Amino acid sequence: MDHDNILVLDGIAKQFGDIVALEHVDLSVRRGEVHVVCGENGAGKSTLMNILVGIHAPDGGKITFNGKETTIRDPLAAGDMGIGMVHQHFTLVPSMSVAENLFLGHHLRRFGIFSDRRAMVERAGTLIDTYSFALDPEAIVSTLSVGQRQRVEILKALVFDAELLILDEPTAVLTPPEVEELLKVITNLRDRGRTVLFITHKLREVKAVSDRVTILRRGKNISTHITKIVTENDIARDMVGRDVFLMGRQGQGVRTFGNNVLQLENVSITNSDGRLLLDGINLDVRAGEVLGVAGVDGNGQTELAEAIAGLIPIQAGTIRLDGADINNASVAERQEAGLGFVPEDRLDRGLSRNMSIAENMAATNYLRAGILWRGFVDKGRLAEFTQKGIEQFDIRGAKPGLAVGSLSGGNMQKVVLAREFARDPKVLLVSQPTRGLDIGASEFVYSEVLSAADKGNGILLISSELSEIFALADRIAVIYSGRIMQILTREDADEETVGILMNGGKEQAA
Amino acid sequence: MINTNFKESLHALIAPLGAIALTMALGFLLVAAISDEPVLAYRELLFANFDSLSNFALFLNRATPLVLISVGITFAFRAGVFNVGGEGQLFAGAIATTAVGIAFAGLPAIILFPLAVITGIAAGAAVGWVPGILKVKLGVDEVVVTLMLNTIVLLFTSYLVNQVIRDTTAYGAVSWKLPEHIWLPTIPGIPGATSGFMIAVVLSLVSWVVLFRTQWGTEVRSAGTNLRYAEAVGIAAGRRVITAMLIAGGFAGLAGALYVLGIGHRFEQNFSPEYGLIALTCALLARVNPAASLFTALYYALMLNGAAYMQISTEVPRSLVILLTGLLVLLMTARLTRKGSNNQTFDAF
Amino acid sequence: MSYESLLASVLEQSTPLVLAALAAMITLRANILNVAVEGMMLVSAFSAIAVGSATGSALAGFSAGIFGAVGTSLVFSTITLRFGAGFIVAGLGINLLAAGGTLFVLERWYNSPGGLRPLGFPEMWHVPEDSLSFIPLLGPALEGQSIIVLLTVLAVPACWVFLYRTPTGSYLRAAGEDEHAARSAGINVVRMKFLAVTISGLFSGLAGAQLAMDKLHFFLPNMTAGRGFIGLAATLFGAGHPWATASAAVLFGFFGALGDRLQAFDIPAQFVLMLPYLVAILALTFSRWRIYVRNKPAKL
Repeated sequence: MDHDNILVLDGIAKQFGDIVALEHVDLSVRRGEVHVVCGENGAGKSTLMNILVGIHAPDGGKITFNGKETTIRDPLAAGDMGIGMVHQHFTLVPSMSVAENLFLGHHLRRFGIFSDRRAMVERAGTLIDTYSFALDPEAIVSTLSVGQRQRVEILKALVFDAELLILDEPTAVLTPPEVEELLKVITNLRDRGRTVLFITHKLREVKAVSDRVTILRRGKNISTHITKIVTENDIARDMVGRDVFLMGRQGQGVRTFGNNVLQLENVSITNSDGRLLLDGINLDVRAGEVLGVAGVDGNGQTELAEAIAGLIPIQAGTIRLDGADINNASVAERQEAGLGFVPEDRLDRGLSRNMSIAENMAATNYLRAGILWRGFVDKGRLAEFTQKGIEQFDIRGAKPGLAVGSLSGGNMQKVVLAREFARDPKVLLVSQPTRGLDIGASEFVYSEVLSAADKGNGILLISSELSEIFALADRIAVIYSGRIMQILTREDADEETVGILMNGGKEQAA
Repeated sequence: MINTNFKESLHALIAPLGAIALTMALGFLLVAAISDEPVLAYRELLFANFDSLSNFALFLNRATPLVLISVGITFAFRAGVFNVGGEGQLFAGAIATTAVGIAFAGLPAIILFPLAVITGIAAGAAVGWVPGILKVKLGVDEVVVTLMLNTIVLLFTSYLVNQVIRDTTAYGAVSWKLPEHIWLPTIPGIPGATSGFMIAVVLSLVSWVVLFRTQWGTEVRSAGTNLRYAEAVGIAAGRRVITAMLIAGGFAGLAGALYVLGIGHRFEQNFSPEYGLIALTCALLARVNPAASLFTALYYALMLNGAAYMQISTEVPRSLVILLTGLLVLLMTARLTRKGSNNQTFDAF
Repeated sequence: MSYESLLASVLEQSTPLVLAALAAMITLRANILNVAVEGMMLVSAFSAIAVGSATGSALAGFSAGIFGAVGTSLVFSTITLRFGAGFIVAGLGINLLAAGGTLFVLERWYNSPGGLRPLGFPEMWHVPEDSLSFIPLLGPALEGQSIIVLLTVLAVPACWVFLYRTPTGSYLRAAGEDEHAARSAGINVVRMKFLAVTISGLFSGLAGAQLAMDKLHFFLPNMTAGRGFIGLAATLFGAGHPWATASAAVLFGFFGALGDRLQAFDIPAQFVLMLPYLVAILALTFSRWRIYVRNKPAKL
């Protein structure tokens, strides 16, 4: 009987259709330790955690918990076993108190039909004190801060007497002081004999609180280190690795760039709690260049893209397009002025899935492409325009009248590109352009982006895929926690340096 | 491209046609159970409308407000607004037109007629504007607002017709008659049929063109199918939604105006056999397509009037039609497949 | 007019409204906008009068009313929860079905489209005189009232206890407020909604029975006259809380009754009758406004 390890994973594999999320993961978690799992977007961390709490079943491999080989059927079974997960998106009922949320679905009862509120409050209080959470069990959740709500979520797992707690990117939504609070809580949990497994990409947190760290990359466990010994550089290097780059910029000669077509001066955005989502961003993109913004999802990229596009207001700073201040320009005005926008989520912002391919492609292009005839949509010209786009971008399975939602992910993305490129925009803002696309489609996107740059357009590429950044960017800006950490030229950048910056580490002397 | 559209259109018709067929079949069974002459009953229900020119005229008159209100509702729904306020908007238009027509009866037709109609449209549009702006700016649930407004408007018109513009010489709560020189003419050849019907038909076809063949219409539909997408491609989504509600209210207001000018010639508090609710059914049955609404509205007018003929001939109560309407609504809105939504391509047309 | 007789009058008049409001409230807490209360009340009123006069038993009439309304609620919940229909459209359909159905039976079986007015109708059980005098103010006001009025007075605190002091009630609230959270906690959201609709059927049944059976002893087509919607307005105004909802319903009822008397001051009854609806819209707008202000990004 293995007393040391509370959890042992042997050769866990998981595939979703064609996509291999986990190839072969071995992992051992020692009882009573804080173990961090690190990795880039798409490395397989969330999939692995979801398997541990029974949301997915592994395709292969063995799970041993507390010395016994087990299958985890569903979240309730996982809870019964003693595995509790704290998700990124909270599952709390705002109008109920902390105690009521803790016991949601399994109230303690008095006389069988009434809720024993006093007992629930007491139990909650005891739990809170044991872990020094500083919460009022009767406080209504809607009055709590994000950090406090997260603690309630953690408590929910502890009510079940979870031995192993899994936290998924817990600091993503916290302010810096709240992060400190959480790290203390995690230490406390460990001191009380719980085992904590948590996912993060922030190197500082890894070093601050964990005993050991495992790095995943492309569905495999690359290495496990003892935190005290390993450096942030080592971790970052393992995270990004020596990848094979897709067709890109390597081997091209020196390129010349024109004037600034897009400038961000000290741009800041706050949310309603006062947290800085963007913190004094300074960026410029020159004509003919690709500026890559590298970073792990959730560090301000969405806000950056939406602010430039004009979808959300900024609280400070200036955005200039071709020198002109566009702070107060509407989305349509910015597009008129030469801005193209490929949003990060094509189904959320990029397309209307129930409308036709033609209508999705023609949006913003009616006048310019001459689709209108005396104010009316000329079906013939619309079909022509769409057909041209279909051929140019090789959109498979597409006919102008078909609903765009019937296409595959890659082809849907091509519709978005076709629409934006049809305007030959001076500045093209592209966010996570190859998310969910296969190699072929991704390569197509890359070549389109590069040729747009060659034509003299300025490209702002936001991506959490380092290989993509390195394939396309002339300069690389790293965003972390809403701030631009550093801007490197292509020659000066290497994956390790960028990897460290992306995860909050300090830049290294050359 | 024509072929796929046609096939999709046919496919889209299956569900509503199926619901209608099922309802009519069940209705027949019910009629057979309670009457010795079910075939006669159904014959009267479906065909008596065409027995005489005057029946036909009544049928067209019945259809007119239904067509207009349901076309208006399609604008609202296409913009993503669940507008159940047709009744209130209808009444607002009717009372406003009546009030203006009576108040300024001295003016020549050339001025008074357009004035009365425009006032009616504007009144309906104003009532439609309220839920629109509340939804766009604050996210207030439009179903509640439109439902509540219905009663508010109806109470207000009740006040007006009882207290302010009541015809003291007539029986019941009715307004003074509108001046004859602004009455809508009848359709030549069909005595008693209001030319308002022609206006309704034209508008339903025009609406189809506007919704599906103009950039503006595409923008409204974009806002209705995916608001975040519409914003991202630079559409002034909020404005489109509000305008769609103004149109929806305006159409219902126009229905009211054309009713008092062309059919009733005065305002009566109970002139509407729930036109608003029936028109909503017509719009949904037509899968919110303005051209198809024309047909579903005609179908309903046929049934509403047919029920009266049926009752006269066979004593099958006319309330059968209301009963069947309720059943139809339930059948139409249920999704009988396990797969959930029958892949909402409202744009099949 | 003594306080007690005023209270008695208010209690009697507002009972159907309070019940309709409670019906709307329970479903609102399960995140259902229940427009079918009107229809369920109508079915109940009709069944109560029809069965009551046919059997000569008030109890039978009362039961028929409840069954009718709950049965209608089952149609409603089946069509929506099992067959995926939208709640609003299905609710409107139920109302049409109820109006058409009751009218149809009136015309076909009773040959009396104007209504059902049986000669001689059994009386419901009323609170006996002097039995509740030990309760100050409320006691005497309840004496002489029908059983349903008594039940309603008890129903309001019962609803409160159910929603806030029982596990099932809490789970229902959770299912309505945040489906995702409820599901994660293992709550069967569909079952909660079904429960809510069924309870609303029960309350609607009581409302319809009270309306038709207490003083009137007859059924008229559309006699519910929008009470279902006023009830909805009351619960929206009361944000779904039992006491606020009941108070709003009583207030609306009070103003409705007052409307006639205000003629003396030249205020037309219609404007007073509008109040519940106006107030509901204003209340909703105000609560959304608060949310809008709260979610604005902070100034730097």
